[in-house]
Amino acid sequence: MAGTDLDGVLIDTDILVIGAGAGGLVAALSAKRHAPPGTRVTLCDSWMIGRTGHSAFSNAWTIVVLPDDDLDGILHEVVAGNDGIADQILVREALKESYARLKDFEAIGMTFARDEASQYKRRPTRGLDLARVMHPDGGGMAFTWTLRRALEAEGVQLLDRLFITGLTGGGSGRVTGATGINTRTGQFHAIKARATIVSTNAITFRSGFVRDITGTGTLLAYKAGAALRNAEFSYVRPGTPKFYFEGITFAIQEGAQWVNAKGEAFMQRHEPEWADEADVPRIARAMALENKKGDAPLYLDMSAIPEHMRDDFIRSKVPWMDSFFRKLGNEAKTDMFGKTPYYALNQMTKMGIRTGSDCRSDVPGLLSAGLAQAGCANHFAGFHIGLCIGNGWIAGRSAVEDLDRLPPPALDAAEVRALHAETHAPLKPAAEAESDRILRDLQAVMFSYDTGILKREDRLRQAFERVVELDDEFKDLSAPHTHELVRLKETEAMLLAARFILGASLYRTESRLSHFREDHDQRDDRDWLVWVDFCETGNGPAFTKTPVPTPLCPPTLSKPRKRQLHARHQVAGV
Amino acid sequence: MIESIEIGKCTGCGICDVVCPADVIHMEPVAVGHGVAGLTQTKLLPVIKFREHCITCFSCEIYCPEHIVDVHPSVKNRPRPW
Repeated sequence: MAGTDLDGVLIDTDILVIGAGAGGLVAALSAKRHAPPGTRVTLCDSWMIGRTGHSAFSNAWTIVVLPDDDLDGILHEVVAGNDGIADQILVREALKESYARLKDFEAIGMTFARDEASQYKRRPTRGLDLARVMHPDGGGMAFTWTLRRALEAEGVQLLDRLFITGLTGGGSGRVTGATGINTRTGQFHAIKARATIVSTNAITFRSGFVRDITGTGTLLAYKAGAALRNAEFSYVRPGTPKFYFEGITFAIQEGAQWVNAKGEAFMQRHEPEWADEADVPRIARAMALENKKGDAPLYLDMSAIPEHMRDDFIRSKVPWMDSFFRKLGNEAKTDMFGKTPYYALNQMTKMGIRTGSDCRSDVPGLLSAGLAQAGCANHFAGFHIGLCIGNGWIAGRSAVEDLDRLPPPALDAAEVRALHAETHAPLKPAAEAESDRILRDLQAVMFSYDTGILKREDRLRQAFERVVELDDEFKDLSAPHTHELVRLKETEAMLLAARFILGASLYRTESRLSHFREDHDQRDDRDWLVWVDFCETGNGPAFTKTPVPTPLCPPTLSKPRKRQLHARHQVAGV
Repeated sequence: MIESIEIGKCTGCGICDVVCPADVIHMEPVAVGHGVAGLTQTKLLPVIKFREHCITCFSCEIYCPEHIVDVHPSVKNRPRPW
């Protein structure tokens, strides 16, 4: 490797995109399309680009605002559905540009279903009145694979199986690239880049939609000097350990209800406005409260769904979900329509990198996209990927603009050598692989309903102490091979994330969205219409308030919202 | 979680390894014949290296051109909040 005595690969590029979910794929496409010919764009992911990331395993439902839709009405309901904690400028641009992206996607080969009148088939989604969602034929796999093929055709350098372990240049006040290892061979890589976009998903505790996929880039950005925000919010959704069921919105649309052990439909009591059509953080909170009251187990009562429709619930157009149901056979239908306990499962933190509406972080040369970017504290079904597409496009464009604004970067050989040593330090061939043990204990702390959903100061402090103990245990761990080395790095990031989640949850002394403090159970817009930001001080994170600007709309709706799901027959194209 | 790969029918194409998003399957050399005394012929075949980290995404089963990978729809290890 030039400039050092290390054995590895050195790559020189203009724009480096880390993480190949929806945000990263679109960021790379955007960078290539905004940049002058000859600009080098590199996209890397820990696994095979186009076959990994949460996006690949989803239906790829996304909010698309068509030219005749009420753009500002949708913006307002998304902002209100975030209880005000949203970057309004960014969200509006993501919504406004969603139709142009739809056309881009069609141009590279994606197809979207249309009805007899050639109108796009769209559906309402939970928690929103005006927004409509749609997905490409073939779901997430078709989405990510088609984008991979397009990036290859446009000359983007794709680096599969590259796990990023550090961002370089943090000490100089800017980011100059990254270091990483091949997840199979362990080969060290250093990448020099003029602009770096982190789009590595939100961090999970290996509990997400696709359980083992987690993001670590957010925390690498923190170590490089970037501020983070939204750590007190999480995406907690109802689910059952027995099977994956992504059709809850559809089921509720057809008359399913949440019921407790006494057979009571409890959502009306907790959420009078929305009842069962409430968005997931509100359902999760109601479930936790029912459990606390002693009324668990909790079920999704699907008995109102007519027999002739039931097979639709055990089929999917997404290949892996369909395989799942097909292999479960009759058991799938029996479990789904019978009494299967549901839980509120923590899928991911909403913690992301603080950026402006242009997706630039506080650190020059470092931008962010996807769920690693903290544009929203709540994304809804259809706006996880919707916002990732939007902020990916913006991040790619801003990165191109930065090429002329920032001087060429230089890799500091001493820093690269130090990152190499830090990356490989835990590798000891005779070691036991033990990160899973720490992970299970960490999950027990963070997923407990009275820490992760119903929060209170004393319990948050106890959880924090336990995380510190786990951190101490973790420091002694080593890795016998590259596979475990990657998992160790991910576990290290989860432990750090847990500290931030608990710290931010203690700091925000009110209740809002998925952050529910039993000891501060009211929303307080006077003092807390703010982001809780934090950055490294040299002595741990310092939490501060940043007021959320409201340049386009107020943080709440002026009139009660309509419920849409039960009115499905009135919605064109459904 | 991945159950098995019918190695006897495997062509060694490596697709299962490439599409796995959890590094569960590795292609590894296996001795397949001794056509010449003293020489060993090897072939790369898939090994379920880290079964416990399978995320039950079915990618290996779906993309295997020989249809010889079996994934069981078990998610028993999912953590619970209560």
